[in-house]
Amino acid sequence: MGKSFRWYRKKVEKIEEAASPLNIVTYRKLVWIKFKTHRLALMGAVILILLVLFSFVGPLFTSVSYEDMDFGSIFSPPFTEGHFLGTDELGHDVLVRLMYGGRVSLFVGFVSALLTTIIGTAIGLFSGYYGSILDRLLMRFVDIMLSIPTLPILLTLTLVFGSGISGIILVLTVFGWMGVARLVRGLTLTIRESEYVVSAKAVGVRNLSVLFKHVLPNVLPVIIVSATLNVSYSILTESSLSYLGLGIQPPMPSWGNMLQKSMNYILGTAMGVTPWWLTFFPGMMIFFAVLNVNFLGDGLRDALDPKFTSHT
Amino acid sequence: MKVYFLKRFLELIPVFFAISFIIFMLINLMPGDPLTQMRMENPRSFMNDPERLKALREYYHLDDPLAIRYLTWLKSMLTGDFGYSSMYKQPVKDLIFSRLPNTLYLTVVSWLLGLVVAMPIGILSALKKYSVFDYTATVAAFIGISLPSFWFALMAIIVFSVQLKWLPVSGMSTYGLTGQWRVFWDSVRHLILPACVLGFVQVASWVRYIRTSMLEVLDQDYVRTAYAKGAPERKVILRHALKNAMIPIVTIIALDIPYFFGGALIIETIFSWPGMGRLMYQAVIGSDYNLAISCLMFLTIITLISNLVADLLYVLIDPRIRITRKA
Repeated sequence: MGKSFRWYRKKVEKIEEAASPLNIVTYRKLVWIKFKTHRLALMGAVILILLVLFSFVGPLFTSVSYEDMDFGSIFSPPFTEGHFLGTDELGHDVLVRLMYGGRVSLFVGFVSALLTTIIGTAIGLFSGYYGSILDRLLMRFVDIMLSIPTLPILLTLTLVFGSGISGIILVLTVFGWMGVARLVRGLTLTIRESEYVVSAKAVGVRNLSVLFKHVLPNVLPVIIVSATLNVSYSILTESSLSYLGLGIQPPMPSWGNMLQKSMNYILGTAMGVTPWWLTFFPGMMIFFAVLNVNFLGDGLRDALDPKFTSHT
Repeated sequence: MKVYFLKRFLELIPVFFAISFIIFMLINLMPGDPLTQMRMENPRSFMNDPERLKALREYYHLDDPLAIRYLTWLKSMLTGDFGYSSMYKQPVKDLIFSRLPNTLYLTVVSWLLGLVVAMPIGILSALKKYSVFDYTATVAAFIGISLPSFWFALMAIIVFSVQLKWLPVSGMSTYGLTGQWRVFWDSVRHLILPACVLGFVQVASWVRYIRTSMLEVLDQDYVRTAYAKGAPERKVILRHALKNAMIPIVTIIALDIPYFFGGALIIETIFSWPGMGRLMYQAVIGSDYNLAISCLMFLTIITLISNLVADLLYVLIDPRIRITRKA
């Protein structure tokens, strides 16, 4: 139906060739082949690496700190000499602040995604595998946690846990593990009944070994994908909270709180112009990071799914 | 059917109590209490006298055990007494009921707007799988999902309000306008930006859902049978495919209602829309306990109700479930 892209057809051909019974490849190799042919995912991975380098290695190449103020040139637009992306109301260099902001945003994103995934996976595995009353209680709890509106409760919680980096990570973790737990639990339920698990148990393998040697590896692809998407969710939420003034606090920059500060100036004109660059660049960074994590997640989903060959 | 409805409804009650307990505990973890807040606002207040402070603490039962305080709070909540807002110097109930319609107005409009845009795109995407249109829609959906809504809102303000001056920057209406049509047009103009931004963010994820759901259905035997019988394509798509694809879509769209309130919180704050979200934000910023906790409870109740509605709709529109329930 419709006309397809030629490269897409080529990709499908490649995957089918690799997956055909005549051509013996390992699962890992097949995953790589599928990932390689997913252009957006590949682009996402490359851009993410560049973003990480930009934020963590970038500041090493400049002597300007995020707190340094250049009072001689406040509100200078992008491409002014010495300030590639312009400066803000205190003469902070926007480019440098974007780098340091990236450290915070990416760190919070990755760490809270990792923590939610670990906690969610553990709860999901145990709940699904052992079942019975534990499962019922845990899943009821998940239902309850999921029916509290996310952003309002996060907002309230930042007041409790404080609004530093660790506070934000804690808040995102406490209210972020439920999705993963539910997903993993559902999969565990089906895997528990599968023949290889039943036979492993029949041979006398201990429950914990079954859980970690047979169930976990089979849930892993799904966990990896959901962890990736969790990164983008965490980056977005952190920036929303910081934007609302309840996340990372100045003077430490994060992409979100840079946007918040820019709010004060976009309505009027400072020094004769609307300083659009203060709003535009941090937002672009968030958008770029989240978009490419999502692309990566999509590629991983296609690549890791053993069932996916051509029709998805 | 009725039994099932009733059962689902009764199940909500323990959930409600559990949530109210969790929320109460969390709010109690917040630093400070209402009296400290008042004392900070007014350092020379009579409350700084330790004797009087003690009396006040006793009067407000601030030193009672947590469980007792929870029960007292729950009782007054259930009897419709939400307390007094320390920030607005008004009963919380009045505040919430004056803001709630504004939020519902904004969310319902953007919800409908999102639906009207997402449905045709999603369906067309599925019908023309792997076409240029599908590919563009998929990439656009990715962009939409990744777009921070507050940034999108800010950029929209910069472009449409500050630079082009087409639409008002914030608020719900201009003060002092006369004439029915003028007032109506003014309120529409105020609604356009927030509703579009809030709706757009949701469109992206819905397009994906609708596409997947539609693709799944198009692959079913009964669709193939319909084609084989020689039914015209329009009829197959509308009668056989779409009707079945709607089942999961309806649930997801109803389940997304809470996200709208989350989104509304940000959008209302940016556009100074006098709704529940903005109220809640201000309550949290100003450590207005009563207000914050009541807003949170209200939003949660709305969420619970919308989840229930989603569940019931699912049963209503899917005959397969209805039959198995009966059996």
